Amino acid sequence: MSAQGVSDAPLLVSANGLGKSYPKVFRPRDRLQAMGKLLLGRNDVASVPVLRDINLRVRRGESLGLIGENGAGKSTLLKLLTGVLTPTTGSVEVRGRIGALLELGAGFNVEYSGRDNIAMSAALYGLGADEMESKLPQIIAFADIGRYIDEPVKHYSSGMVVRLGFAIVAALRPDLLITDEVLAVGDESFQKKCVRWMEDYLDQGGTLILVSHSMYHIQKLCRQACWLRDGAVAAAGDVFHVTQDYLAYHERKLAAKPATEAHKATKDLEFSLTEVSVNGATLTTPVMVEQGGTLAVDARVHSRDGREPVIAFGILRLDGTPVYGVSTEMDQVHAIRESTHEYRIAISFADLALLPGSFVLRVMAMDTEAVRLFDLSEREFTVRGSTRESGVVRLSHSWIEIG
Amino acid sequence: MALAVHFVRREMRSRYLGSLSGGLWALLQPLAQLAIYGFVWAYVFNMRAPGGNATPASVVPFLALGVWPWNAFSEAIVRSTTVIQDNAGLIGKVALPRWILVFSTAASSFLLNGLGFCAILVLLSLLRMQIDIVWLPVVLLVFVQMFVLALGFAFLFSAIQVFVRDLSQVLAQLMPLWMFMSPVLYAREYLPAQYRGWLDLNPFTYYPEFFRTMLLGLGEVHAAPMIVATIVALAMLGIGLAVFRRLDPRFEDFL
Repeated sequence: MSAQGVSDAPLLVSANGLGKSYPKVFRPRDRLQAMGKLLLGRNDVASVPVLRDINLRVRRGESLGLIGENGAGKSTLLKLLTGVLTPTTGSVEVRGRIGALLELGAGFNVEYSGRDNIAMSAALYGLGADEMESKLPQIIAFADIGRYIDEPVKHYSSGMVVRLGFAIVAALRPDLLITDEVLAVGDESFQKKCVRWMEDYLDQGGTLILVSHSMYHIQKLCRQACWLRDGAVAAAGDVFHVTQDYLAYHERKLAAKPATEAHKATKDLEFSLTEVSVNGATLTTPVMVEQGGTLAVDARVHSRDGREPVIAFGILRLDGTPVYGVSTEMDQVHAIRESTHEYRIAISFADLALLPGSFVLRVMAMDTEAVRLFDLSEREFTVRGSTRESGVVRLSHSWIEIG
Repeated sequence: MALAVHFVRREMRSRYLGSLSGGLWALLQPLAQLAIYGFVWAYVFNMRAPGGNATPASVVPFLALGVWPWNAFSEAIVRSTTVIQDNAGLIGKVALPRWILVFSTAASSFLLNGLGFCAILVLLSLLRMQIDIVWLPVVLLVFVQMFVLALGFAFLFSAIQVFVRDLSQVLAQLMPLWMFMSPVLYAREYLPAQYRGWLDLNPFTYYPEFFRTMLLGLGEVHAAPMIVATIVALAMLGIGLAVFRRLDPRFEDFL
């Protein structure tokens, strides 16, 4: 992920054309065959690709959020970066010390006590015994699991395992911290503690690669994001743009299920929409609108009998929840008659109060009495922005000074 | 290398974690084994150790020089064969050189059994069992050579085990067979003359025979078998490492 603008911070991670395939092994015989091929130096083992052609750059001081659905390849990518997995294609180069928390209790031996596992992790990280000794109190304090520190890890709750794991990584102060969805397991106060620690770490020039399904955490901690879909990069860049695209994709996925073509107003009836343009675009591709920007819609209606139509505009969320609706009849405005049968209306939503996300604009042509619906046209649009407010629209508000 | 030492210590600890007598088992288990074999040998089968003295007790040092080396050798191989598979959890989450796992497992087997071996030899010589204890340093050096041979098998088998899980099952059956095909509980002279030469095809044969020559004065020391055994041990390590390194990058895919 090259930083926005030119950065001359040293490159910590660079992956070029990185790809990973897992071998297809169904029968035990396949394993034997695969081994034979590998021993002969042939790499043509039948395999399923899980990651394809990933190019990634992370400079010192950057923070990258990895997002994507389950099975998109996020964990595999992290494992390639940490060197746990060997790439099938391409190469990855990582400079500096990596502290990685992959899944729960990375590398803990459950038979050993927490204390022994701390020693083990420190040794794996290349720490000397004396260095470890000096960090021990700090780790135990951060983990804050009380007497459990001297009990075997198999007696720990999953939250305690994460606490210990994070405490170790925190004490090691790696050049590059890689965490895989570990925040989700800890309780509220521990999550806050971790987030605070990571913010602190980033402030001091640390580098972070974070996998999370919580867009809140991603947006809070990362400046860049990379969205993996089916093993390839779907989008990469500024964290707000990528997360919004990702969320919009999810909304679309959910909305795609119920058939939207329920009311197909009968064509060639009294009123039909002939043209709808949104911000000047007449194509059906989704339109991008900046938050607080203007959404201008221009619609033409063909009236068979030359009567004036009522035209209604509605904004819905992708899942169908209505946000706002208004019609010419409600506001007592009239469509302009351009010819005997053609009417035209334009509406502008300035200062758009919608929060970032994907929406549907619905234009409806109704009879003069605003009773029957004759035609309907829908256009998708996405509001972009970098706010952290939540919900659908920004309500006008002011903070009241007390005192 | 510091990591390797850490793993050896961890492995030694974990083997006796939770057992009351701890590391004492390393000594007790072969002692019990020796007592059983000694009794059966001397009193049930009424056999005597080769060489002049024919007392029933002389069988004990003779057997000790076969049983301990074999235990170290076979245990190192058997235990390290499944070590990659057993540590799949660790391998999948932490980037560590995998050879360390194999090395530390084999090394801890040799360390524990080697300590027991030394202890029993010193004990036997204190009991005036006619052991030339002065040769112990040379014996230990060859013990290390035996470790090199075992390490070769350990690397080879642990890598294959990741792909072919049957190996550890097969090995459990083959190891006792291998023991009886080696001069562990008997001497070469006890075999019918036409089969004695076959023992030379077994890479383990050299070790108990060498130990008995050095410490009990049975037979003579020749240079040729020493050179051959050294070459075989190094070659085995080379083969084992070559296979291990070829397969190592793909372990995670097949675990």
